[in-house]
Amino acid sequence: MPPRLQGQLATNPLLPYISSSSTTTSSSLSNLPTQYSSQLISCSSRRTNRSFSSAPSSQTKHRNEMFAWLNTGGSRLKDHKPGRTNYLWPKTEAGLESMNRDLKSSHPFPLNKDYISQPILSEELRNEIHTRVVFKKQSIRSVSVDLGVDMRRVGAVVRLVTMEKRMKQQGKSLALPYARAVHEMVPTTPLYYDVSEHRQHPHESINDLPVHRLTDPQIFYPVSESRQFNRVDAGRVFSAAPALERREAAENATNPAEVISRITQNPSRIERVGKGENEQEVLQPADARIPHPHLIQYERLAQSRSTEPKKNREAYKQAIMQEETAEKERKRLAKERQEQQLTKVQPDSSRFEFRFKDVVVSKETTGPDGRGHKAPGRRYGVPSYERKKGQVKIPTQVQV
Amino acid sequence: MVVRIRLARFGNKHQPFYNIVVAQARTARNSKPLEVIGTYNPVPQRPTNLSEEEARSARPYKDVALDRSRAKYWLGVGAQPSDSVWRLLSLAGLSESKEKAPK
Repeated sequence: MPPRLQGQLATNPLLPYISSSSTTTSSSLSNLPTQYSSQLISCSSRRTNRSFSSAPSSQTKHRNEMFAWLNTGGSRLKDHKPGRTNYLWPKTEAGLESMNRDLKSSHPFPLNKDYISQPILSEELRNEIHTRVVFKKQSIRSVSVDLGVDMRRVGAVVRLVTMEKRMKQQGKSLALPYARAVHEMVPTTPLYYDVSEHRQHPHESINDLPVHRLTDPQIFYPVSESRQFNRVDAGRVFSAAPALERREAAENATNPAEVISRITQNPSRIERVGKGENEQEVLQPADARIPHPHLIQYERLAQSRSTEPKKNREAYKQAIMQEETAEKERKRLAKERQEQQLTKVQPDSSRFEFRFKDVVVSKETTGPDGRGHKAPGRRYGVPSYERKKGQVKIPTQVQV
Repeated sequence: MVVRIRLARFGNKHQPFYNIVVAQARTARNSKPLEVIGTYNPVPQRPTNLSEEEARSARPYKDVALDRSRAKYWLGVGAQPSDSVWRLLSLAGLSESKEKAPK
């Protein structure tokens, strides 16, 4: 065993390794126990040799290049201009010219064309959305179309701005420097002075068709040439519903707008197919399932009566109004129905309210084996999959 | 043997949830009952979607689902509710509260 240095012990055994990787001096050596120092001497001697070596290290070249760039082209990125993103641009002036304005503000990495940083709403635009919905009482649907923002985002903006205003009222502090920094790091969608500009440059696509589960399989469905096969028929094929009768199909073809409004205004009257557990709604045409079905009719009118844009706009507004009144009525009825089923009791002796919901226990709800899902109560003799692997309990989306 | 209307505990640890069941009095708590006539969630829920004024006066609520006609039927043929079910039934207006009932 090598002799120990008297009265001097390193407190941290990791210390020699750390110090050997950085600069090691002989004075720090004397503080170490010899079992480490013997290794260290060999290690540090190798190190000192290396630093005197004339063989170029591979890293040095890149480092040199980096510093050269930092001093020339990169120097303009050192201090960012307030109110603008601070992204890299192509090296050459020609490359800079080839990138248009939009590309420059949305591509932080010029060599990676696929990396797009999505714009966020600017302060002015989100305040405008809040003003329109809350103070001007415009519908979320029309605000979404006018400003080119998704309806779900409009709803979220209204809720968040309301919350922010309340926090201001309560005198709570806001993370403003943080917000300012984020707004400078990513591109933002401005509020255009001319509001019609929002139609040309929308914040995001507002009329996306959600992919329906029923459309996943590829179906080979032969159709005779003499027959008109449209989206309504395709939906019926996907959900295995019998084809429409000719008379009905011909009626639908004459007035497509009415068909769509019939579907969107009475979603509860959509035809259902299948038996028992497998009962489901017939898949509706894409025109009715998109968030803004009225825009289709608007475009249709704009093409057929291009000389009367004013009339077309009136018709569009009318359609939206109808849709909104129908939706309000539907919501009111649903609420009424729910309240009819619900009895609220507030006993004096309790802090709580008791809500009694009427349910039905009968042969129809419990089913022949007593395990039907329409009957109340947890099931007997059915395993609970609560703790099973792969059960997702965190909500993955918010339904607005 | 007596038929009782009582609670059967479901749910996990610290998350009680009860079926309101009609069962023979001497059978085990969670054995298969004659009939399930409702559920009771004793964990108070916060009401949501309220305006600010409503939120100030709103009480947390407990959810009860109950088939009134079946409950009435079983009471009519002499089923005896347990204390906790008696309290719920009296709140629903199906029986007198226990204090007021004749001894």
